[in-house]
Amino acid sequence: MSNIRKCAAMDLSLVRPYVKTVLFFVLIMPAAFAAINRSLLMGVSFCACFMAMTSGYTFSISEKNAMERLYGILPVRRTEMVFGRYLFVALTGLAAIAFSLIVHPLLLTLLGEHISAADIVDAAAFGLLMFSIYTVFQLPGYFKYGSVKGRLFMYIPTGGILIILLIVHKFLKITGSPDLSEDVSALPLPASFILLLISIALSAVIYAVSIAVSVKIVNRKEM
Amino acid sequence: MTNCLEVKNISKSFGEFTLRDISFTLPKGYIMGLIGPNGSGKTTTIKLILNMLRRDSGSINIFGLDNISHEQEVKKKTGAVFEPCFFDGEWSVARTEKNLSVFYENWDSALFSELLGKFRISAKKLVKELSKGMQMKLMLACALSYNAKLLILDEPTSGLDPVSRDELLEYLNAYISDGEHSVLFSTHITSDLQRSADYITYITDGEMFFSGGKDEFTEMFRIAKGGTDELTPLLTEKALGIRKYSLGFEALVKTESLYELPGLHTEPASIDDIIIFTAKRSENI
Repeated sequence: MSNIRKCAAMDLSLVRPYVKTVLFFVLIMPAAFAAINRSLLMGVSFCACFMAMTSGYTFSISEKNAMERLYGILPVRRTEMVFGRYLFVALTGLAAIAFSLIVHPLLLTLLGEHISAADIVDAAAFGLLMFSIYTVFQLPGYFKYGSVKGRLFMYIPTGGILIILLIVHKFLKITGSPDLSEDVSALPLPASFILLLISIALSAVIYAVSIAVSVKIVNRKEM
Repeated sequence: MTNCLEVKNISKSFGEFTLRDISFTLPKGYIMGLIGPNGSGKTTTIKLILNMLRRDSGSINIFGLDNISHEQEVKKKTGAVFEPCFFDGEWSVARTEKNLSVFYENWDSALFSELLGKFRISAKKLVKELSKGMQMKLMLACALSYNAKLLILDEPTSGLDPVSRDELLEYLNAYISDGEHSVLFSTHITSDLQRSADYITYITDGEMFFSGGKDEFTEMFRIAKGGTDELTPLLTEKALGIRKYSLGFEALVKTESLYELPGLHTEPASIDDIIIFTAKRSENI
């Protein structure tokens, strides 16, 4: 097992006692949102947001237990620890999105909504991008400022996304174009796959930048 | 005699604190006590050895290897015990082993179980349910389970009752008995040093005061006692610290200075005496 996987496994072990809470907020709540709003996009987006919000758990638990001293004596490079945390966060995000992409369509179909394959691919693209945007800002913030001050970085993408949505909404209203969600849901399947590929590529790029920033922060940090 | 740890002229500054030119050597198979008042730089020195802090200058070699360029190799053979415990309180003892063992190729699960038995620690208990002493023993059991050749302990006995302290010191003495293992431990409890340390490194105000054999350390100093009339200007100049009473004084003097102070009544100095007098040498105690 590589050191990165070992570090990710240790992170999983840190959040293990909080699994029930995480499952409730990440799996049950977004399903309820999807059902109430009758929207797959809404459900998957909430799931991605809630999962991204839990990325601070490992930081706050390790801070609470003064575990920087444990990390300081383990025979792993600081870079590997950073990669391990990113791997853990990315895997939890992917698992949550995958869960919502399976459960939410079933739930919505039971409620009489028509969910197409294109809808699912669109939701996957949107959820993945949203999760990536949230976490790429949060993680360097946590590495630099710790779990309390670092939490502020969570609001950068929240604010950014809301502002962008507001601008787009106003723009569409002025130009008389249909609503954004209608535009997305109107995409044909091949276009949805292109959207997903773009989302994956963009996520990979911003994750690479975020990891580079975090590695720099951690390598300079004194424990 | 091969050295297990070589610290040469290390310095580190942060904020108002500066650790200057610290040098000492710990040979294989011995125990070294790292002593000094609070804030003198003991933990900083330990963190520099473990590369948890970046040194500004100097060099640190562990088993002949630089502690930065060979960090992983060095850490595979180094164990550390800190106070308070650095494991997640929600982990069970068994989970702690599971999480740690993957990082060490030579982790010996049978030895870990044996040590838990010896330390009377239940594998099912959560770390937060263990007493301070038990948590310290758990960290020690982990370090011993991958056969760490160098143990670094930062004030391991401070939270322990006398029985646990005694057990720990006994264990450390057994640990180094094969001549292959060494221990560096910082402590305020000098009776622990009297009992187990072979070498002493004394740091005060971020500066090195002494490093060498324990007996050499105590033999270097004497406590001079006398009436107020015996406190001559020469003695005041030579004393490393003076404690005045209404009827007399106590002063710490270097043994080598005694030939200049004939007729002075002196007694052996304890490690505590040396620390107290030297730490307060600038003050009028």
